[in-house]
Amino acid sequence: MTLLAFLLGLALGIGFWLWQRQRLQRQLKQMLGVLQTDASSTAMSVVSRLRQEIAQANEHRSQLEERLQTWRRLLEVAPLGYLQVDEENRLLWCNEQARHLLQIDRWEPRQLRLLLELVRSYELDQLIEQTRHQQKPTIQEWVFHPPCLDGEAMGEVRSLTLRASSWPLPHGDVGVFLENRQPLIELAQSRNQWFSDLAHELRTPLTSIRLVAEALQGRLENPARRWVEQLLQETNRLINLIQNWLELSNLEKNPSKSLTYQSLELRSLIQSAWQTLEPLAQQKQLCLAYVGPDTLWIRADEARLTQVFLNLFDNSIKHSHRQGTIRVEVTATEAPVLDSEETVDSLLFSNASDQPDGDASPSLIQIDMIDAGSGFADSDLPHVFKRLYRGDPSRQKSQGTSEPFTLVGSSGSGLGLSIIQQIIQAHGGTVHARNHPETGGAWLQIKLPDHKNLS
Amino acid sequence: MSLSSASSNSERVHFERSLRRLEQDVLRMGALVENSFRLSHQALFSQNLEAAKSLPLLDKQIDRYYRQIELDCATLMTLEAPVAQDLRLLSAFMQLVRDLERIGDYAEDLAEIAIKLLPYPPHACLPQIEVMSHHAQAMLATSLVALADLDANAGRSIKELDDKVDTAYDTLYHTLAHQQDIQGIVEPILLLALVIRHLERMADHATNIGQRVTYIVTGHR
Repeated sequence: MTLLAFLLGLALGIGFWLWQRQRLQRQLKQMLGVLQTDASSTAMSVVSRLRQEIAQANEHRSQLEERLQTWRRLLEVAPLGYLQVDEENRLLWCNEQARHLLQIDRWEPRQLRLLLELVRSYELDQLIEQTRHQQKPTIQEWVFHPPCLDGEAMGEVRSLTLRASSWPLPHGDVGVFLENRQPLIELAQSRNQWFSDLAHELRTPLTSIRLVAEALQGRLENPARRWVEQLLQETNRLINLIQNWLELSNLEKNPSKSLTYQSLELRSLIQSAWQTLEPLAQQKQLCLAYVGPDTLWIRADEARLTQVFLNLFDNSIKHSHRQGTIRVEVTATEAPVLDSEETVDSLLFSNASDQPDGDASPSLIQIDMIDAGSGFADSDLPHVFKRLYRGDPSRQKSQGTSEPFTLVGSSGSGLGLSIIQQIIQAHGGTVHARNHPETGGAWLQIKLPDHKNLS
Repeated sequence: MSLSSASSNSERVHFERSLRRLEQDVLRMGALVENSFRLSHQALFSQNLEAAKSLPLLDKQIDRYYRQIELDCATLMTLEAPVAQDLRLLSAFMQLVRDLERIGDYAEDLAEIAIKLLPYPPHACLPQIEVMSHHAQAMLATSLVALADLDANAGRSIKELDDKVDTAYDTLYHTLAHQQDIQGIVEPILLLALVIRHLERMADHATNIGQRVTYIVTGHR
């Protein structure tokens, strides 16, 4: 009897043990399933499979860590600056170049501090906020002024033009790459300076050549006289080109200093510009159609604005077909704010909650000039405003038209549209070139702000 | 700022987060004021008309930050009822932004004076005034660094810089006030006297900022 009880008990115990073992095996298999890479053979026992998997996972992790370290070291020594901020704009990490560019000298790697504490750049901060808000990569360029705590040395401090490309990261972090654009800017400036200096130097000899040619012109008989006249023509063309180039550079450098604002009546200005070119228009029997208010007063530089219209009409006349019409449409709108390019000023004002309050918003004057000519070639459209760009030579009219008027850019110097753009931009406006859908000709749209209270 | 966050109390964490946001706004306003000071310097001494014209809008932005920070400080003080250093921090912020806003206003005034000075030939003592302006800007920068680091000692060093600006003011005032044989209009001299007065006030406000930072840390001025 006792033997039976004993055997029963033993069987129960063994059964219990077997059940526990089954449970353990099931749990181990579950754990094995959690480890994603189950490359071990099923021939081995579960425990050794688990051991193998854990070893593999450890090795994989150490490989990943090594790769991470390599990337981090690469980023640390990269020629681009890089910094990363968390969702509260605390600086998580910045590399050597970023520290050099932004002069972050009070940062310790283990300390979490606000980015604004280390580098007081409003533009950088706004860029990060905008990137986080829109969750889109953004590029911004601005002038960074390194901090200077010494009054005497402040005159020597050079500001940098920086371009930042920011990327939104998970958990509200933002990464910013920083590029030093100052060398490029200085290069462009010195190049412009060279050209202007060269142009200055060319002026004097050309003027003497013109004087001599004019003197010769009176003393010769044909055929030599005709040659000298041609000489004179080409010399004048060169002198005009140089004059325009210098003026263009001047306008670009100091837009506000070169303009003298006056109150002008727009319609009469346009009419007088047209009348100057009337003889040329008559040759092709072109006429002007004006649509707009009878009197519209604006404040602008009279001579420069006349030049704009002379250039516009000249281009339209050159490219129009016979008996065509050149339409000028003037409209005055109340626009709240102009398109702003990416400059320092616009970045300072780009805070989303900003709105100019209380000031009378300037009215916007839109001038559309539409001709019925051949229009622009599509490939030329992005480049028409560049200096000396001439477009497709087959569209150029011959230079044979007589030139009693020394019009700017009339000999197709390629500067006409550049001058228009420069003058309009100096007035704070914009100009766009398109082909008009109805007439197929060129359509130039000028938008000018009307500075009613400019000194 | 080196605020300790030892306790894991969620209310404390939320409070510290609000403090950090407030501090960010104060530093942003500081950066804007630095910008406007720099632009006014360019307007005065480099005859940069664009810089002068951009100042009124910038000043409006600074004023907006001033009002917002004042409101946020008052709200935070009422809702959270902070004590000790946190209370000193919030009340110091409220006073600090007043000083910053005044500096911004003076910078706008300097830009207006710059526009008025344009027709006249440059005065002989302009280089000295330029140095004075550089000193004042350096003081503003130092005080903002002191605020960012919560450095109590910086308050003292700013006081020494302020003495330099005061001496410059006295010398320049003496030069301008004792000019004899003035031919033509006296407006440029008048305007320059206003300029040095504004610069001296801006330096004083920067000193105030440094002193408030000392107050936050030590509780004494």
